[in-house]
Amino acid sequence: MRRRDTWVLALLFGITACSAPGVPSQRPGSSVARVLMPSDPASLSLIGRPDRNSEIFAAQLTDSLVQYDSTLRWVPRVARSWEFSDDHHDLTFHLRDDVRWHDGVPVTADDVAFTVELAQKPILENRVYAPLLALVSGVEVVDRLTLRAHYPEPTPDALEAWRIPLIPRHRAGADADLLASEFARSPVGCGPFRFEHYRVGEEISLVANEDYWDGRPGLDRLVFRIFRDQRTSYQALRRGELDLVVLAPELWAEALRSAEAARWKSFVYSSLSVWWIGWNMDGSNPFFVDARVRMALAHALDRETFASRVLNGLARPAVTFYHPDSPWADPELKPRAYDRALAARLLDEAGWVDHDGDGTRDRAGKPFRFRMLVAVSSMQIVDLMLAWQQAAWSSLGVQVEIEKVDFQRFRELRAAHRFDAFQGTNTFTPSPDLYELLHSSQRDSGVNYIGLTDPEIDRLTQEGRDCFDPELRLEIYRALQRRIYETEAVSAQFHFSSPVIHDRHLAGIHPSPIDIYRTADGPRLWHWTAQEPFP
Amino acid sequence: MIGIRILRRLGGALVSLVTVTIIVFALIHLAPGDPISAGDDPESHRGLSAAARDELRALYRLDEPLHRRYIGWLGDIVRGDLGRSFQDHRAVSEKIAARARSTILLNALAILVMLGIGVPLGALAAQRQGSAWDHGTGVAAAALNALPVFWCALMLQIAFSVELRWLPLYGLRSGDAASRGLLWRGLDAAAHLVLPVTCLSYGAAAYVSRFVRASLLDSSAPEAWRAARARGLAPFTIWRRHGLTQAALPLLTLAGLLVPALFGGSVIVERVFAIDGLGLLFLEAASRRDVPVVMGLTLLAGCASVIGMLAADLAYGWIDPRVRRAR
Repeated sequence: MRRRDTWVLALLFGITACSAPGVPSQRPGSSVARVLMPSDPASLSLIGRPDRNSEIFAAQLTDSLVQYDSTLRWVPRVARSWEFSDDHHDLTFHLRDDVRWHDGVPVTADDVAFTVELAQKPILENRVYAPLLALVSGVEVVDRLTLRAHYPEPTPDALEAWRIPLIPRHRAGADADLLASEFARSPVGCGPFRFEHYRVGEEISLVANEDYWDGRPGLDRLVFRIFRDQRTSYQALRRGELDLVVLAPELWAEALRSAEAARWKSFVYSSLSVWWIGWNMDGSNPFFVDARVRMALAHALDRETFASRVLNGLARPAVTFYHPDSPWADPELKPRAYDRALAARLLDEAGWVDHDGDGTRDRAGKPFRFRMLVAVSSMQIVDLMLAWQQAAWSSLGVQVEIEKVDFQRFRELRAAHRFDAFQGTNTFTPSPDLYELLHSSQRDSGVNYIGLTDPEIDRLTQEGRDCFDPELRLEIYRALQRRIYETEAVSAQFHFSSPVIHDRHLAGIHPSPIDIYRTADGPRLWHWTAQEPFP
Repeated sequence: MIGIRILRRLGGALVSLVTVTIIVFALIHLAPGDPISAGDDPESHRGLSAAARDELRALYRLDEPLHRRYIGWLGDIVRGDLGRSFQDHRAVSEKIAARARSTILLNALAILVMLGIGVPLGALAAQRQGSAWDHGTGVAAAALNALPVFWCALMLQIAFSVELRWLPLYGLRSGDAASRGLLWRGLDAAAHLVLPVTCLSYGAAAYVSRFVRASLLDSSAPEAWRAARARGLAPFTIWRRHGLTQAALPLLTLAGLLVPALFGGSVIVERVFAIDGLGLLFLEAASRRDVPVVMGLTLLAGCASVIGMLAADLAYGWIDPRVRRAR
């Protein structure tokens, strides 16, 4: 190769390598926050086919009537106030008069009614709010800023439905199919950020809404960068191309030890998700109708050690479905302690003894060997947990066979009660209502998959649904927790925690058990602090 | 004569294509669950009502017998309509077109690199059969084939993007590329392509080099090379006359098979390098039971296979008169 060619090539390579392509173009202090989104949202339509990512997106772009704050208390948003009628059948919202859509048009009660009407259409597949709005029999626009919803049955948790992201009738009402509409390509809301652009598979960019009724956001721009691969997002964080990442647990410890750790701050928030074991108590197996057996298997698991050593502290042993930080949680109840001797004694008392000395307990000639149904998951943690439980129970003389199936199959088998036990995760709202999961009326047609029939639990779940007195309600749900705990009706294992790493100059982040995005204290309060030199 | 042969081949290919679509259509519908329940949140105990599910089944024709659904889909295809995605109701053709560009660019470059490196290395190994070079490339090819792509991609990212900062970490362009000049954008794209193309091509290049070596040795090329060298021909001329022509037929077969790969995408590379290509589209559509998208991509891959094989078949006759005469 001639010398001149060599120089040209070297120059080209030099330009390519060093002159900006791929090198972060945003620096801390520039009032742009670039955060990880683990996949594209299912839709940008704000209310169509909501998945977690589209809900996070919608929460920045538009507001709802009411919202939880980061301490899980209801706060007014577009609704400045609300009240129930004396008979609790009507819920009336009074809207603020200073809220405008991003195009300047005022938000009215008619827009809210339109949102509710649209969200219930099956074509939108709104699995989050449509089931809650189905409890509403009618919505009346009383005047421009007053809306009344009628409930045939009094519903103390009625506000849950009114967290629905609002959409403007004048922009979203033209197309028959909202999902495929122009609105879903360039949505308009009334939230703290306005839509700027969406590049599929790359990023969603939002800019500050200068006229936001609750004050201009602290950031000029919020960019969701889409990385499906956790490791790539972590490398992007190391390069300074992301400012905030919710990391996978396996990368958490690595991140804290990395050379760049001094540039970051980190925290962990415990989510409303519960990993739990459902024991089939419909009598189809000889094991789990007896509460002593359920308690024994729970006592056999050393969850504290597993959470600290294997899960890097990113999980909290659970008591019941209620999150320990929830105002509904009973602080007197503690996670069932690891006690192998007690577990063995409970099994002995229940008649499960190793009569033939083969290492497996048996009763009336039936060995204690059951199938644990699990949905196939990409989460490494699931396999670790299964192996740990298998070993713990096996050492107690209880054998478990893991049956891993596709999630669709898992759902079918679970709905048909064709399992001995199953494991899975449920993410709850802050509402304390567990009627659907635990009431005996939900065994055949509902989601009481475990076949639970406990008159006391039935009474408490029903009373909780009928009670509007906050103090009495709290008593009812704490009694419910004690009953679940005493009978080990379900074995709640862990509340998993999400580790967050962010640039040390990004401030105003309010973690909550919901997450860091979908509360009233979300990214609108984020801001960059004065830039300090990197250590 | 040649026209009849093409028509005959096209007829056979059409039958294969229809068979493949029937199998894929049946498989995706006969798997547990359905496209409606595939959209349910696995962590939520709430969901659509039974009435809403029934309405959606009717909307997506899922309440019809399987054969009628297939015939309906085929009818739409004949009219040039690939249908609409169950996921976001957008036209399947629009979704495919949006991602095809990056996939085709990536795979075309990977194929070029694969052939550009694999063929000369293979020819050289054949020419120097039994030498240290031959053994060395054999060992290197086996090692490269064994390297997992996800691991290699991660190592390359850490080395060249994070530690050295020579190359971009992800994507096919920088965020601000649109506002830059043409040269900058070209260099930017080139820099973004280096790592993904490397990951896509290294294993295949290793395979091609062994393939070419074996093809040349089978056709006794080394003897021809020795004779040519004895006649005083330059190495490049020898390679062109005896190497490339000898390896041309098996390479054509390989190239024919590579055409569908242009559209196939690579799930791992697209995922690791955050490239929104057809591979990820297919994976996500399959996991969400998005039947129209899965079928659209199946059809695209099937057509590419047919075109590739037909082109290779025609090229045999053009390159080798013996084949032409035999037909």
